[in-house]
Amino acid sequence: MKTKNRFVNQILGLLALATVLSACEKDNRAEPKSVLKGRVVFNGEPVGVRSNGVQLEIWQRGYQLFTKIPVYVNQDGTFSASLFDGNYKLVRLRGNGPWVDNTDTIDVQLSGTQELDVPVQPFFVFENETYSKGEGKVNATFNLKQINTSRNLERVNLYIGTTTIVDPNNNAGNAQEVAANITDLTKPITLTATLSAALAGRDYVYARIGVKTSGVGEMLFGKPQKIMLK
Amino acid sequence: MQRFTKYILACLILILSGCAEQWLDRKPQNIILEEQVWNDTKMITGLLANYYDRLPAHTSLTTGWAEFAAYDEAMWSNNDDGRNNIVSYPFDRWRLWDYGLIRDINLAIENIETFGTSLSAGQKAQFSAEFRFLRAFVYFELVKRMGGVPLVTKQLIYDFNGDPSYLQQPRNKEEEVYDFIASELDAIKEQLGNDGSNTRANKFTAMALKSRAMLYAGSIAKYNNLMASPISTPGGEVGIPASRAADYYAKSLAASEEIINSGKYSLYKTNPNLGENFYDAITKKSANAEVILAQDYLVSKDKRHGFTYDNIARNVREDNLSSSSITPSLNLVEDYEYLDGTPGTLKTRNAANTDYVYYDKMEDVFANKDARLYGTVIYPGTSFRGTPVQIQAGVKVWNNASGSFQNVESNTLGATYDDGGLLTGSSGPQRSQTEVTNSGFYLRKYVDQTAMSSTRGIRSDMWWVRFRLGEIYLNAAEAALETGKTANALKYVNVVRERAGFGANSLKTLTIERLQNERRVELAFEDHRVWDLIRWRTAHEVWNGNASNPDAVIYALYPYRVVRPGHPTHNKYVFDKLVAPRFRAPRFFQMGNYYSSIDQAIIDNNPKIVRNPFH
Repeated sequence: MKTKNRFVNQILGLLALATVLSACEKDNRAEPKSVLKGRVVFNGEPVGVRSNGVQLEIWQRGYQLFTKIPVYVNQDGTFSASLFDGNYKLVRLRGNGPWVDNTDTIDVQLSGTQELDVPVQPFFVFENETYSKGEGKVNATFNLKQINTSRNLERVNLYIGTTTIVDPNNNAGNAQEVAANITDLTKPITLTATLSAALAGRDYVYARIGVKTSGVGEMLFGKPQKIMLK
Repeated sequence: MQRFTKYILACLILILSGCAEQWLDRKPQNIILEEQVWNDTKMITGLLANYYDRLPAHTSLTTGWAEFAAYDEAMWSNNDDGRNNIVSYPFDRWRLWDYGLIRDINLAIENIETFGTSLSAGQKAQFSAEFRFLRAFVYFELVKRMGGVPLVTKQLIYDFNGDPSYLQQPRNKEEEVYDFIASELDAIKEQLGNDGSNTRANKFTAMALKSRAMLYAGSIAKYNNLMASPISTPGGEVGIPASRAADYYAKSLAASEEIINSGKYSLYKTNPNLGENFYDAITKKSANAEVILAQDYLVSKDKRHGFTYDNIARNVREDNLSSSSITPSLNLVEDYEYLDGTPGTLKTRNAANTDYVYYDKMEDVFANKDARLYGTVIYPGTSFRGTPVQIQAGVKVWNNASGSFQNVESNTLGATYDDGGLLTGSSGPQRSQTEVTNSGFYLRKYVDQTAMSSTRGIRSDMWWVRFRLGEIYLNAAEAALETGKTANALKYVNVVRERAGFGANSLKTLTIERLQNERRVELAFEDHRVWDLIRWRTAHEVWNGNASNPDAVIYALYPYRVVRPGHPTHNKYVFDKLVAPRFRAPRFFQMGNYYSSIDQAIIDNNPKIVRNPFH
């Protein structure tokens, strides 16, 4: 039994040595150094989306495996991806973002760091957003402008959160108005969210408005606004 | 010298006898050959048992059982908060690509023909039929999660020529897969045998699968095309034309009626206590003519599971760990109607919403509810295994100065209040503790009443019902309603409701919404909810990730004892409805969840595989 143990120990030692030695070897490929940065824009303005919800696809042909590189869009409409230099095709995945489907490919010749604006056409956008605080309340007033009439409005929401990441999944309170109650888009819409006791006692909260188009999964958002309560 | 002769003799004997018995050609002791398997009915049955056991399920008592707490039937009250905090369902959540099992079944179908020389033609046909039933079952599981998948019905053999592309099969259309399932089941139903069995497939089991599969196909054909933007791929791998809906519904109805009219099955109505009866209908393993196909377990053969250990109510648990994992939501409880047909919303506040409704006994708030509530959920004031399950969140002490109640809660289970009465129930609920209910309810359906079945040492042999007549009636009702046969639809749904305590012909009119609710309450915790919402294409609306949508949020019900000495309400019970304290993220089902994503490795191996939409 003892000899066997010693034998096992020797093997283990050898294995450990092999691991250490092989780990010292350098990777044979450098990490991607080029960066593709960009924004998803409408009329030159970035489009606010849900954090971790909306993605763009990057494809590269010419290799054996043809796999998409998903690039998630940050909630402020920016994105970035570390890539190798080369020719890529950027695609706006159908049915993914709060905008009209557009499957036109955008060619990207990447060498070094590059900035890119990805144009989209939303169904609705916000205008003239103003936020104000009341007694234990936060108000948002804004105009809704319909950009594309192929789909109808479903609802608008005002989300309140304790961090800058505010959306349907990350919020501490919210107010909602459904489309049936919004008859005239030329008039400003006001949403009032009542703060819970815990929220009202804080120094500040973040507020953010979002609009949901029916038949489209994702919502389009305004910029998160810090509201000082004290 | 003499010794030397002996050795030679021994060697000679060895060599000679070895040659005579073909020493090198012995049958292996550790490998069973194809000829042996396919000529021995016992071994074939053993193989079948293996395949039955491997049938996929999203949630059952053993596979993915915890996911019952991931939708709106229940929340998770055991350790960790993963299922209460699903920010969004991942696109690969329901992914299935089990071509290993498909290949095993295809091999079995081919080998029984090739090697089964001593089997009679009848035996061969019956076994083949059973294998084909299993294959149809697996393809149904595949198509309902992935949409159209490649229909592989023969083993694919690589010839090592360096180019495997002739083995790469593209995805079939979604409707083709459903059509394949229907034609297979029709082809084999008369050959299946197994009459009267509820653990192996017989003719009616095949029709039960057809009833369900055709209903799914019909509702996808109908409701997908009613969406603002139907989900489809250009090649039809996903999406069924609306024109096929009527045909699929008719096929489903015919299959359901074949089972109903056969007279072989009947709804379980043995126990005069209707609530207990509904529990028995699913859990009684003998003299139960309702169950069509079940996955059975047996403790004495070490075929058992820990579902009861993990889900039994806290104060009746027999082990010192776990319990209380899947705790039903108030959402589900309120979906059980009152027996007079009114919506099941619990009356906890008076009509003007100015004060509580005070109840003498806790169970009174649930009085006159659908009996299926009792059979599915342990609610305050009821018992399990004869022991009361004590569910009380705390006491509400009247404060004369402020003219309002003050909550007193304790984090000690079974604690006593200053007045000597109960403060917190020995089964909770607790706002933040684990292994005790957070929603104010416990699961009854499928939790075993057998003594010691909630211990880790013994565990439970409760069976898992794959098909039962109750579902077939509801399938028939839905298919009849969708094809305009409202009278028949009413007939079928009312049979199911009558068993739950509603009078005969309790429904006079029927809408699809009513039927959807009927499925929710009858088939809760039977692996239907998420699939039903997917085929009706309502999942993204019911679970829209919106915190102000009550359907996407899990609610709890906390009972309190009133402490207000000298007042008529003293020692009565009131109820608070609240968002379950441990519940975090509203349920969020995205468009990309309707069809699960296909693993990249599969697309790499077979570039003909088309991606599902939104991925």
